[in-house]
Amino acid sequence: MRTILLRKSAPALLALLALPAALPADEVSALREQLRQLEQKILILERKQELKDETAKAAPKPVTVAASDGRIEITSGDGATSLRLRGLVQGDYRWYDSANDANDTFILRRARLIFEGKFNNLFSYVVQPELAGTIQILDANLNVAFSPQVNLRVGKFKTPVGLEQLQSDPVAFFNERSVATNLTPNRDVGLALHGDVLNKTVNYTVALLNGVPDGGNNVTGAADFDSDKSVAARVFATPFVNDKDSLLNGLGVGFAISAGDYATTAGRTGGYRTDGQQTFFSYDSSVVAAGKGFTWSPQGYYYNGPLGILAEYVGSSIEVQRPTFGVREVKNFGYNLTVGYVLTGESASYRGVTPKTVFNPAAGTWGAFELVGRVSGLDVDDTVFAGPAASRLANPNTSATKLTAYGVGLNWYLSRSVRANFNLFQNKFDLAPGAAPAANALIADDETTFISRLQVSF
Amino acid sequence: MKLKSLLLASFALAAGALASAKNIELLNVSYDPTRELYVEFNKAFAAHWKAQTGDDVTVKQSHGGSGKQARSVIDGLSADVVTLALAGDVDALVTNGRYIPADWQKRLPHNSAPYTSTIVFLVRAGNPKGIKDWDDLAKAGVSVITPNPKTSGGAQWNYLAAWEFARRKFGGDDKAKDFVRALYKNVPVLDSGARGSTTTFVQRGIGDVFISWENEAFLALKEFGADKFEIVVPSLSILAEPTVTVVDKVVKRKGTEAVAKGYLEYLYSEEGQDIAGRNFYRPAVSETAKAKYENQFPKIELFTIDAAFGGWTKAKKDHFADGGTFDQIYAP
Repeated sequence: MRTILLRKSAPALLALLALPAALPADEVSALREQLRQLEQKILILERKQELKDETAKAAPKPVTVAASDGRIEITSGDGATSLRLRGLVQGDYRWYDSANDANDTFILRRARLIFEGKFNNLFSYVVQPELAGTIQILDANLNVAFSPQVNLRVGKFKTPVGLEQLQSDPVAFFNERSVATNLTPNRDVGLALHGDVLNKTVNYTVALLNGVPDGGNNVTGAADFDSDKSVAARVFATPFVNDKDSLLNGLGVGFAISAGDYATTAGRTGGYRTDGQQTFFSYDSSVVAAGKGFTWSPQGYYYNGPLGILAEYVGSSIEVQRPTFGVREVKNFGYNLTVGYVLTGESASYRGVTPKTVFNPAAGTWGAFELVGRVSGLDVDDTVFAGPAASRLANPNTSATKLTAYGVGLNWYLSRSVRANFNLFQNKFDLAPGAAPAANALIADDETTFISRLQVSF
Repeated sequence: MKLKSLLLASFALAAGALASAKNIELLNVSYDPTRELYVEFNKAFAAHWKAQTGDDVTVKQSHGGSGKQARSVIDGLSADVVTLALAGDVDALVTNGRYIPADWQKRLPHNSAPYTSTIVFLVRAGNPKGIKDWDDLAKAGVSVITPNPKTSGGAQWNYLAAWEFARRKFGGDDKAKDFVRALYKNVPVLDSGARGSTTTFVQRGIGDVFISWENEAFLALKEFGADKFEIVVPSLSILAEPTVTVVDKVVKRKGTEAVAKGYLEYLYSEEGQDIAGRNFYRPAVSETAKAKYENQFPKIELFTIDAAFGGWTKAKKDHFADGGTFDQIYAP
């Protein structure tokens, strides 16, 4: 504005400079005073505008409410406080082969409302109730972020062991996690120290927890059954994450353990399920955990463009006991190798796939499609079947000693929030020596399952 | 179990490390022209506190119009201490949210005013408009720079000094009101604080005279050159007593009561008083500092707010509250 006004004044200024020789001194003086006053007016206008701009800049920013893909977020003007409301609904249809077709069913697999928030730039929290199946609080924890390197989480959260277990439900390659996940502890109550170090190339977590057994979940957030706590620790490195041009940019490798003394009520050692979510192994109902438990898992993933690979191995040993008999150590192993490829070219990642287009036939857009395949297995310690029926830990006629599971699937991303999955699983069982399952038992023959899912996740 | 013991020890160590890594941090919410004073004083206090207790103290500063700063504290700014332009602004912390007790001014010497100041005029070199006293400011053609009394403590001192001058010279509040009205007709820009007005006058080149805090006028001479500006001392001015207090409600919550108290007490120490004098504030308690800086300050007849206006509560109600004399005489 000043430039414009001075430009407009320029002819007058030039005229004034030419005047001294022609005009009396008092007139020149008067003109100079007029020019001074004109300049003052310009300066005042400029200053007023400057103050107006400063006031606008200093004014507190209003609270913002943003909604996208079904997600709603309310954020304070300074960004220090926010509340995000999210949700997850999964509806499945499960089809089983003729030997198990009695289990064909529609099922509401998950229905969750997720509240995430932060405040004071230091605290954040998650409250996530599960409203399908067993109604429970899945996650309820407070995180204190002292720095990116040092965070403290307190409450109920996922035990930091299984790579696939730690992946968010709606972005996993398959409808159901692999059978190896049967061996990793799930959600528990306690506290965890975690953070990103070495320029965010290494993530670490060390947790102190009540302790849950293989595949277990502290459903009610209940107090510890015994006074002993378990510990879990995980280190996961993404060494090339800062090198965007590297072929290994999407490589991550890690190692996790959990250890503790476990004592459980009858049956709490749980059973192991197939990809079709049917139990293929369970301890005798009287068997309890009664000693040390240890889980270890080397794990890794690799993502590059539309390609995604996830692999993990899980070893588990737990001391269990059938009442009146001695404590026995049981060693089980599981593995999982999953590969995915996004046919429509979008990039795959541990956090899922974001389609470039949404499903809109009128516009000729169909979203994104991903092909997935998986081989996984779970090998149960053969010794659990040893001994007479009165003392053995598991019944060889109803439980298999080994499961090898194959799966293929197609994931259709209709939008960022809506996904349809079509998974076909073939589960092959190895039986314990001398086993004679009933003709209609699950383990009597291979299990073939087709599970389709429509998911809304926002 | 060894592993578990190790983990428990790790948690204990981490917790211990977090605890020992704590650095004491204070926030001093102050008015506009004290930036330079507290930059120097904070450094001296940190050294003093370190020597005395071994603790590290970092004092953060927040500056703005005094009234606006008091409002910020009431609205949630976590000030451990306030060092504002006038007691009336500090009083707002008593009446709005009871951040401090009503008798806060009795907790420190000299009514909690460790230094004083007054109001003078800053004019351009050669004093082209021939400004000598307050009545010259109301003359036609004189452009006057002063901040907004609604947001600036310094502006309130300015306003009341002009009012009292006119009351004495012309007789009565009505004449004083007319005078002040005429003066504010000459004000082209109202900044929200004293430092903003300094910018307007000194850096933007607007106006013929700046009604200024004494220390701010000296600072302008020091920073921008005595060849560019001159200080004009009026025949009468006001004794400005910037006041300080710990914000009890905040320090109790933050656990900083002792260090905040020590911070303000240090303003009364010989070093604190010397720093005030060095930054063109009049030391209030140290005879040594008073003597050292005596010749730095002009001799002016000063009146007090209590004597002329019955204290800040009454002065604010009569002049600066909504519907007060300022609202009556000033139309933007």
